[in-house]
Formats: sequence, structure tokens, C-alpha cells
Amino acid sequence: MAVPRRVAVTGLGLVNPFGGDLADFFARLLRGESAIRLYTRQDGALRPLCVPAARCENFDAAAALGETLPYTMDRYSQLGMAAALSAWQDAGLPDGKDVPRDDWGVSWGTALGGTLTFESGYMELLRNGRERVSPLSVVLGMNNAAASHISIQLGLGASCATYSVACASSAVAIGEALPKIRSGEATVMVVGGSEAPLSYGVVRAWEAMRVLAGGDENSAARACRPFNSDRQGLVLGEGAGAMVLEEWEHAVQRGARIYAEFAGFGSTSDHNHLVRPNANGQARAMQIAIRDGGLTTEDIDYINAHGTATREGDPIEIAAIRDVFGPRAAGLAVSATKSMHGHMLGATGVIEAIITVLSLARKQAPPTAYLDNPDRECAGVRHITGAPLQGDLRAALSNSFAFGGSNTVLAFRAAH
Amino acid sequence: MERDNLKLLGEFLHTREKIDPARVKPEATLEELKVDSLLLLELLFEFEDKLGVKIPNDIPPPKTVGDLLRIVDGIKPSAGA
Repeated sequence: MAVPRRVAVTGLGLVNPFGGDLADFFARLLRGESAIRLYTRQDGALRPLCVPAARCENFDAAAALGETLPYTMDRYSQLGMAAALSAWQDAGLPDGKDVPRDDWGVSWGTALGGTLTFESGYMELLRNGRERVSPLSVVLGMNNAAASHISIQLGLGASCATYSVACASSAVAIGEALPKIRSGEATVMVVGGSEAPLSYGVVRAWEAMRVLAGGDENSAARACRPFNSDRQGLVLGEGAGAMVLEEWEHAVQRGARIYAEFAGFGSTSDHNHLVRPNANGQARAMQIAIRDGGLTTEDIDYINAHGTATREGDPIEIAAIRDVFGPRAAGLAVSATKSMHGHMLGATGVIEAIITVLSLARKQAPPTAYLDNPDRECAGVRHITGAPLQGDLRAALSNSFAFGGSNTVLAFRAAH
Repeated sequence: MERDNLKLLGEFLHTREKIDPARVKPEATLEELKVDSLLLLELLFEFEDKLGVKIPNDIPPPKTVGDLLRIVDGIKPSAGA
């Protein structure tokens, strides 16, 4: 029987609300720093937006992509393209589209796609009384625009697909690339996701669900407190992340740096409620990812939790972890980094996968920020608080659970 | 040929594609100015907007700057626009 092909993570890139590069991002998370600030937006007669959010305020599309390309992209595509280019360079892959790359592809995730494009179109029609919207509205707004730009700019000729699975979108996109490389269909996949959700309509919609954390200038940074007894909800964020996944031998032969092995992918549906999470569905996804990766629960040394800081969601995830890991759960290190980078909806899965991969590679994992009084309902695991977790981590999971009941778990194994 | 329309086209292509306005001459082809089908849609939109006209959908596809400007110059402002 042929030995199954393994998958290496050889490039990481992101656009994040701290505004710096990958090393800066991870260093800040290890220190427990939050990128969340009070976000205010005032547009004419509309009641101003004023919520804690993690916004990529310093993102300069022209600097990242050149002066002309950004005109043809919604902000979510600009963020995604910049992250993909950054991951590509990080992987040490050459520029130039003249090399045939017909077995290299893109697997991308976004929950909302070009929401800002649609909003500006509606503003023109309904507020400004115009009869027309920009002729680029369709190609800016479509959910697969970011993926297609990446495919075009990098010259990738294999599958180019976009997954829209709410808050698990980019985790699903990463997971769905695994069988493509294992089977030989693809050699390299650029994977990840991007989201730019800070439009009036989207922020108001989340406010109406009563799940957004409040805050003012002083308290915004600590608005998102997963697993804490006084947690009050999630904080929206914008950003993008990308990884280069590569067939193991291909990576070794070109002398690429391997951050970690992407070992397993688990995907399940709760099949019972649109928004109420279910421990059984989440536990099954973790079990499938562990088994798919040829791992056991004994091998897992860290979990990057979905942990959004909602009243209802956090205890259910901890219950699911306890179900899967049994007596081992009490010593299992867990952190929820949304406390610092916010909830980037469709992009959050890849951002957290990047953090998980870096934790394995750098042998330290970030804490959950502002977790000073853990909720009793969230007890039973080893919450990382204050200082980062240090040590030889062998394997780790990244959990992503979506509205709609879709659960996605990615399993990574240390390369060292 | 309306000089203002040529100027408008030059400014637009300079903003969008960093094209030197001196290259935007009636005999220049749209292809050499990097005007693809999407950019042409934007250009027509821009002219409609700035001139208050409606350019029909069934125009013959322009090949040169001159073709495009002849189309635009030939459209009369619609009532009330």
C-alpha cells in the first residue's frame, strides 16, 4: 500500500489589527495584548456606530498591492490578497506566473464577502437617490472574488474554491485542501480567508442578536473575555490570514522551512439548531480530526479554542473538550485568542490556525487575555492565563464552530 | 471630437492604470492602454455620470480611443438628467 502523502505548512501571512507583521502579531499575543479598540463611524444622518472592534486601521492597500489593483477589489479581497502574497513570500516561493502551476490551487473562506461593496451600492440607491451602482459591484462583491484574485496574481491553475460557513469558513477552506494534497490532485494550496465586516448593516445585525460586547474608550481593549465569569459577548474584527500548504516531499526537496504538519481535519454538523451550539457535534469534530491525523488524545498538548466569550457558547466548548479528553482534560492547555484579535468571522479560523502552527513551531502558546476570574461553568481544562505556555508541544487542535451548527477542527503536528 | 471628453478619459486612465495622459490619443488602441472589458464598463459609467447621458447597451465595441469618443460624443444628454 502506498504511503499517504503528508502535508507541510511552509508559509504564513496575515493582515491583522495590530498593524505589524507575523512576528509582531505573535509576540503581542504571547504578551496578552489586545488589538481591540473603540470603533466609531459617523456617516451623515445615520446613527453613529460605536462598538469595540478589531480594525485593520493601518492597512494600506496601495502599499501592499500596488496602486491600480485595489480599485478592482472590495476591502475583503484587498486584505486577503495581501495576506496571500505575504504567505507566498514567507514560503520562499518565486514570483512570476510563467512557471506552470496547474496542480497548485486556492482554497479560501469568507462569511460575508463584499459586504462593504453592497452597502455602498444601497447607499447610492436608497440614500443618495441614484439610479445606478458601480459597474464593478458584481465582481467586487462576489464571495469568490478574493480567491480568484489570488489565483490570478499567483498563477495557480488547480481548483480555486471559496467556502462560506459563517465563523468556520476559513477553517473549512483549510481542511478541504487536505485531501486535495493527500490524493495527489494538488501539490501546493494557498489557503485561508478574509473578512471586512465593519459595515453599518453587519454591525447593526450583530448588535440586534445581543451578542456583541460593549465598551468605551477605556474599556474597549478588554471587552472580549472568553471563559471569564463576567464575559459579555464577542467583538467583531476584520483581517485576513493565509497559509501555504505543500506536499511534504515537495517542501523537503526545495529546502523549504516547515512550520508544522497539517495532520488532520474533522467536520461535523450539530443538526439541531441554527445558533445554539452542541457539545456532541463539537466533540465528534475533535475526535475525527485527531483520528484523521493519526493522533490520539494523548498527543494533543494545546487547543486554540473557538472561545468567542458568549454566555452560552464557552461552557459548551469546554464540555466538549472534557468529553473528548476525559481525565486528561484537566491538564490540557487551552486558550481563546479572540480576546486579543477579535472575531474575524470567516477569517478567524485561519488566524487561529496560524497561531496554533506558530505555537508548535515556537514552542510557546499565547494566553487567553483578561481571564482573571474563570467561570465555574468553564472549568475542567488548564486555561492559559497571564504568561504564555512554554514547552515542547507535540500536536495541537484549532477549533472553529459556526452559526448553523457546522463544527470544524484542524489538527497540526510539530515538525521538530 | 470633444476635447473635454478626451481629457476626461486621460484623467480616468491616469488615476486607474497610471497611464501617461500623453498616450491617450484618438489613434491609440484601448488594448494598449490596458482597457479590458471591465475597465470599459467603468469608463462608460464614468462618461454617463459626468455628462448626464445614457449610453445604449448595443453600441459597437470600440477598438480605439477615437471609436470610444465618437460613441460618447454622439450621445445627446437625456431630458432631466
